[in-house]
Amino acid sequence: MAKSGKSLIGFIVPLLSILLAIAIGAVIMACLGANPAVALKSLVTGAFGSKPNIGTTLTKATPLIFTSLCACFAYKCGVFNLGGEGQFIIGSIAACYVTLTTGITGVPAMLIALAAGAVCGGVWGFIPGILKITRGQNEMIISIMFNYIATLLMGVVYTNWLRDGSVPQTQSVPKESQLPRMITGMRMTWGFAIAIALGLIIYYFLYRTSGGFKLRAVGINATAARFNGFPVKRFILLSFVISGAIAGLGGSAELLGTQFRLINGFASGYGFDGVAMALIGQLQPIATILVAIFFAALRAGATTMQAATGVPTSVSDIIQALVIVFTVAGMALTRLSSFEAFLLRHSHKKEGGKSA
Amino acid sequence: MSFIGNLILATVRMAMPILFIALGELYSERAGMVNIGLEGLAAIGSLVGFLMCFITGSTWLGILCGALVAVLVNMIYAFATINLCADHTVYGMAMNIFAPALASFIYRVYFGKGSELSQITLMKGIGIPVLKDIPFIGALLFNQTPMVYIAILLVIVTVIFFSKTRAGLNYRAVGENPQAAATLGINVIRTKYIACVLCGALSGIGGAYLTTCYSNTYTEGNIAGRGFIALAAVIFGRWSGVGILIACLFFGFCDALQIRLQVMSIGVPYQFFQMIPYVATVLALTIIGGRKLGPKAAGKPYRKEQR
Repeated sequence: MAKSGKSLIGFIVPLLSILLAIAIGAVIMACLGANPAVALKSLVTGAFGSKPNIGTTLTKATPLIFTSLCACFAYKCGVFNLGGEGQFIIGSIAACYVTLTTGITGVPAMLIALAAGAVCGGVWGFIPGILKITRGQNEMIISIMFNYIATLLMGVVYTNWLRDGSVPQTQSVPKESQLPRMITGMRMTWGFAIAIALGLIIYYFLYRTSGGFKLRAVGINATAARFNGFPVKRFILLSFVISGAIAGLGGSAELLGTQFRLINGFASGYGFDGVAMALIGQLQPIATILVAIFFAALRAGATTMQAATGVPTSVSDIIQALVIVFTVAGMALTRLSSFEAFLLRHSHKKEGGKSA
Repeated sequence: MSFIGNLILATVRMAMPILFIALGELYSERAGMVNIGLEGLAAIGSLVGFLMCFITGSTWLGILCGALVAVLVNMIYAFATINLCADHTVYGMAMNIFAPALASFIYRVYFGKGSELSQITLMKGIGIPVLKDIPFIGALLFNQTPMVYIAILLVIVTVIFFSKTRAGLNYRAVGENPQAAATLGINVIRTKYIACVLCGALSGIGGAYLTTCYSNTYTEGNIAGRGFIALAAVIFGRWSGVGILIACLFFGFCDALQIRLQVMSIGVPYQFFQMIPYVATVLALTIIGGRKLGPKAAGKPYRKEQR
């Protein structure tokens, strides 16, 4: 099939999946006794209805953009990094230590904390990467195990090492070290700008540089890449480290910009959400960002919807889950030879009609 | 009972959910289906098991329904990977996102926002006559819940099925070389579907075990990575029933040990002990390395036209 046809399918399938998932979501809302039209309207209003609402949506999108870019980057090199959540958490722990214990404040503290977050996240990604290339391990299981280890380590930090008095949470990041807001009246901070810039850089690297080309070549066919003399193992390790650094940077940005303290449930689910968004976005960095913003809107709007109609916010999780289930199945369907033959036949008919 | 006695008792108890899920994965992979959605299947099984037990008061009905719903959910995976040839890993991951979301949605809709924890009565242990009177060992191994005996029986059946029966060899052929199996008249598609039914059921049982035989309540994230540890157990147990049993007992031991250590120690943050099962999984996989011992066609889509 032509290249333009394929990218068109890559656009249509997720879109149809989203519409189908929302339709099912509407049916669920109706089953719960709410008027789906009212519920959906309040969902949209909640997400985009006002300047502060848009700010909330973009704030919620920021960590998701980071973890989805993390998943996207590793998968472009053919490895499945499911450890985004752990790397994100390690990044936030690093940022927490920089801002709370070093005595540095203000802009230097922000910069050092962001850098420390990226470095520590990269180290956390290095472990499954090095075990993959030296011991041939299943990187998915290892990276997931490190998610649990990171979550527990964070538990040690907020219940012990940096505990704030009697409450099991860390102290808040000092006001002067918090990431400032981009626009007054909207909640999102410069963390959002960093996320978008990062997405653009990743896009540039993957599609406009020879390094990015090689990395994608390894992802598409590692054997062929090895025969071409590409250092496959080095690329796999590198992709894990960078992927971890992306998530780690996200973790520190989230701590400095939105959450300010580590607490039970911090970052819970962000890793898998990121994987879902990267897959729905067809592993294209820019599309992935848009998908992340869409799901953030769904979540931000769900709160308003719950207040207005009583439909629980977890409906948005169901819709998100359905989108991933439909998108992946849909993409597989379009790759089936019988489907391609059907399309081909159809397009031939059209062309035949024109020429006749 | 002594420290060691308690430890062994807890080891067996903690190994069971992983064992059920890992056996499910074994049946799946032997037919060439790598299913990494175990965590999700166990989550939905756990919730449904809890809910049915909560409504009817029967732990057995809970476990049965948990298995049934997990099978239904796994049919989505089966259809997408078998009929649509979707990537096993990607689709398994999709199930890992879908199934827990469904589970927590059902829980929230049913129980509302009520803060009080709903509880059920756990399945009771049944002593095996004569054997349970053996000093020490009897109390530990032959006075467990029926689920433990079922799991052990399942291991024996699995070993016999794969190594001694014709059906088992045919089943394995599908995982090794589906094209060749098809030419021998084995129905590859049907075998793969059977594999997904078994995998769904066993994962669901593993999840339901946690709510009906271990902790008497459901909390989000209660599977806590056991689905992935089960994946590791299959690798560690080298795709054999006995190997998987030993691997699961090892992981169960790690879990049991960390609980004992948590209770005992003062001063060391308890989270460090909770890390033990996860660190052990990483170490176990690192030691065994990445030798490919599993079914050769595992994870590969089966397209009829590719003969």
